[in-house]
Amino acid sequence: MKRELKIVVNGESYDFYIEPKTLLVQVIREMLGFKGTHQACDSSSCAACTVILDGKAVKSCSILALQANGKEVLTIEGLADGPKLHPIQQAFIDNWAFQCGFCTSGQIMGAKALLDENPDPTREEIQSAMDGHICRCTGYNMINEAILDAAKRLQAQKNSQPQKGSRSAKSEEVA
Amino acid sequence: MREYSIIGKPTPNVDGPAKVTGEAAYTIDMTLPNMLHGKILRSPYPHAKIISIDISKAEKFPGVKGIVTGKDSPGGRYGLWRRFRELSDQECLATDKVRYIGDPVAAVAAINEEIAERALDLIEVEYEPMPAVFDPIEAIKEDAPMVHDDFPSNINATRHIEWGNVDDGFAKADYVREDRYVLSPAHPCCMEVHNSLASFDKGTGRLTVWSSTQSPYFLQQGLADALKMREGDIRVIKPHVGGGYGGKNSTMPDSILSSMLSMKTGRPVKIVFNRDEEFTATEHRTGQHMAIKIGLKKDGTIVAMEVKTITNGGAFTALGATTLYLTGTFITMPYKIPNYRYDGVRAYTNTVWGTSIRGFGAVPAKFISETQLDRAAHDLGIDPLEIRLKNAVEPGYQAPGQYTFESCAIKPCIEKMRERAKEKWPKLAKDEGIGYSAFAYMSGGIFNWIDTPYAYSSAHIKVNIDGTVDLYTQASDIGQGHNTVAAMICAEELGIGIEDIRLHLGDTAHTYTDLGAWGSRETLMNGNAIKDAAGQVKNKLIEIARLKLGENIAYDLVAKNKRVYLELRPERGLSYYDLVKDAIKANDGVPIVGTGHYTPHNKGMISPAYGMGVMAIKVKVDRETGHVEAQDVLVVHDCGQVINPLGARGQVEGSVHMGLGYGMCEEMPMDQGMVLNPEFVDYKILRTRDMPQIEILDVPTYEPNGPFGAKEAAEATIAPTAPAFANAVYAACGAEFYSNVLKPEKVLKAIREKEAKEKATSKAKSN
Amino acid sequence: MANYRCPMCRKICSEHLDLARHYLGQTDKKHKEWLKTQGLSYAKLITDQVTQFGNKGYQDLADVLKKTATEVKDI
Repeated sequence: MKRELKIVVNGESYDFYIEPKTLLVQVIREMLGFKGTHQACDSSSCAACTVILDGKAVKSCSILALQANGKEVLTIEGLADGPKLHPIQQAFIDNWAFQCGFCTSGQIMGAKALLDENPDPTREEIQSAMDGHICRCTGYNMINEAILDAAKRLQAQKNSQPQKGSRSAKSEEVA
Repeated sequence: MREYSIIGKPTPNVDGPAKVTGEAAYTIDMTLPNMLHGKILRSPYPHAKIISIDISKAEKFPGVKGIVTGKDSPGGRYGLWRRFRELSDQECLATDKVRYIGDPVAAVAAINEEIAERALDLIEVEYEPMPAVFDPIEAIKEDAPMVHDDFPSNINATRHIEWGNVDDGFAKADYVREDRYVLSPAHPCCMEVHNSLASFDKGTGRLTVWSSTQSPYFLQQGLADALKMREGDIRVIKPHVGGGYGGKNSTMPDSILSSMLSMKTGRPVKIVFNRDEEFTATEHRTGQHMAIKIGLKKDGTIVAMEVKTITNGGAFTALGATTLYLTGTFITMPYKIPNYRYDGVRAYTNTVWGTSIRGFGAVPAKFISETQLDRAAHDLGIDPLEIRLKNAVEPGYQAPGQYTFESCAIKPCIEKMRERAKEKWPKLAKDEGIGYSAFAYMSGGIFNWIDTPYAYSSAHIKVNIDGTVDLYTQASDIGQGHNTVAAMICAEELGIGIEDIRLHLGDTAHTYTDLGAWGSRETLMNGNAIKDAAGQVKNKLIEIARLKLGENIAYDLVAKNKRVYLELRPERGLSYYDLVKDAIKANDGVPIVGTGHYTPHNKGMISPAYGMGVMAIKVKVDRETGHVEAQDVLVVHDCGQVINPLGARGQVEGSVHMGLGYGMCEEMPMDQGMVLNPEFVDYKILRTRDMPQIEILDVPTYEPNGPFGAKEAAEATIAPTAPAFANAVYAACGAEFYSNVLKPEKVLKAIREKEAKEKATSKAKSN
Repeated sequence: MANYRCPMCRKICSEHLDLARHYLGQTDKKHKEWLKTQGLSYAKLITDQVTQFGNKGYQDLADVLKKTATEVKDI
């Protein structure tokens, strides 16, 4: 018997009726048409299907969609701001951190979850966090360099923004 | 080295924005209206007669729209070795018998995958199991069960290569040793599994197939042979591909059976393998038995080499016969071997078949030759780099009747390695060791086993009134970065920017032939075709510029930075965009076009050019557990003019990863023809924590046969990795290996054996 | 210099060993069948050639060809 699924994906709310056995990746790829999340194994071993569920990186092939009921999901399609790429995406391009690209969405989402939690990781911390991701093309070193680069870019972006709670010169003038 | 505007500069991947946003479409992402999903029923037996197939229950299952069995097969046979038709040994579906566990027997198309799979369970097949053979040495015995009736004793292919006088050579040697090895099979493990989407148009009788393939042309030919159609009535489109590594050259059941089901149902049909099928029923790197004998003078000069191999071909030929030949040639590189003999046999067995995986025969070849060379060096008291330098070839070297190295910097590579390794690793701690391996590899193949009448690579360029360029070529980017290289070569030749070029690759309907992405051929062969096409366009613009500038014909005009100008007086020139407008007006309004081709001629048996170099790996051995940590890798290589340093580095890193896997953990154990580890849980691939950092040093040369001096870059580096790793373990603790996959238990066993041998020797001495 | 013709096709070689090498590279039925008439086995010749160092398979066939291959006079 179908059950109701209420889910927010990339900032938009959706309401579905689904078979209880439906996996989160099936909702993402087949029902929502977000094909950027890929499946590359049948044993939850490769992390190509990684998305972010309520702030945590998860393998969408190993989560029942109903486990995400009432929760927020971020997929690769939700990362860029219109035509403006997210710093992690840009860092991946600038560091040649992908080749065939099939595992890349999962790598980028895994990297985002890591950097959200640990904005200044060491190379060893990156390797530890990303060890679940299989890549057959890159040999991983250039991915690690992209993540280190992304951390710097995100930090620079944060430093160039006005601090929360402080008044800008302009607002003081207005006041 | 020459300076270029674009060539040689680090250039981001032109597919970057698509791939990092999830917008890049792979075959597995594609759907068509009215599409059905197909699944394949596969044999559970390695060798059995098919007595009967009853599909009546399955046909009635709700949601099933069509089923095909051997009876529906058009009867064509297919396979990449089309030059000798008996080697095109594959059928669309098994008819009289099955030859390996996983051999397709039937296929179902249904409204969704789940229904298709459930319908498979309702197909009743009666088999009569027959004796089967799994080991190649057993397979070539007189009384072995025959896998194919036309091939007595299961001898699929033999190769013999000989020059000089080997027996004389060994007689003159001061030191001779023989070693025997067993090499494991390994799987390419593409992240995107094999999958195809076929759409047959009953009205026109034409077929369109989207497929995760390395070569749209090979697939077009294979489908034409299998389905007995004209090539021209089949259109193959290659979207983005999630990895190939040699495992997606062949026409495979996903494309054939989706086509047959589409023909039967009148609807598009998509077949996607699962990961189990990917491991058990797609092509892999062959396992084989090898023996190697080497003769040297006491100063380390090689005087003779003899190699024998029996490879486990599996049930079909695919590109295995080519791999058999290349094993026998790559093993000699990059050394002067005055006397050489090679004999190879590829045996059919009742297992899933092996083909041309990344490295194309160089991988097992270099494992045995480079590890043996280190032991010989040790026995002779010669430094491992010194012995390699002593025997390394020079530019112009010819292996009689086989190959010639034109650009060749292996000696400078070894010298640079010696210098840098000393600097990088001045001291070693206990149980650490450094291992070396030299290598060379092809830039595309020469022998026409595919039996094509076409040029090996073609490209067509159209320049529009606003100066934008449409580049059409059948060449394939399967992740190695060829789209970017193609744009770079075109842009450099025309003197424009990559942003001016729109790529149209991998569609047989809109492009002339290119043989696809394998054997490191695209940069050299397709690059030459693109440069040729762009050169024709450039010459047309230069003609007009010469007329307009009124300059003497003796003065050279060049195309660079979106201008055409006098090389000696750069201020006298015209804008590329204005010249394009003039050229089109002068051509009665027809866009300017150029069509380029490339086919190697008179370049020996293997390849027009070779990348080469030397690799060093530093390891630390844990004598308690046998675990080996690969700590550091250094590569010094000659790949001619590097087109895109970012892409070349990426390819080296990927090659080393796969090569280290071959040396450390990747294996495909089989029992009675059954692959025992058909999932990533059990098939071990190195993860990010396992990978050492890799330093890459270039020794640039100019390859006359390649575009802008380019040649193969980086596929070569897979072959030396496992032997350099094994040599490093040997250097660290003296353990010797006669098979790849140095798992901890194997390393521990080798260490214990060495210690026991040493104990016995010292005991004998003291008695 | 003497030349010798392959018993089953037009190939000519100056050495019996070369002729044996040519012969065992042919994959058609008629070449393989002729070996049986000489008491030889294609499989055994190939196996001998590929499982031991040396030239045993070719040499054994060359020895038979020495007695059976037609000599072709210089043209």
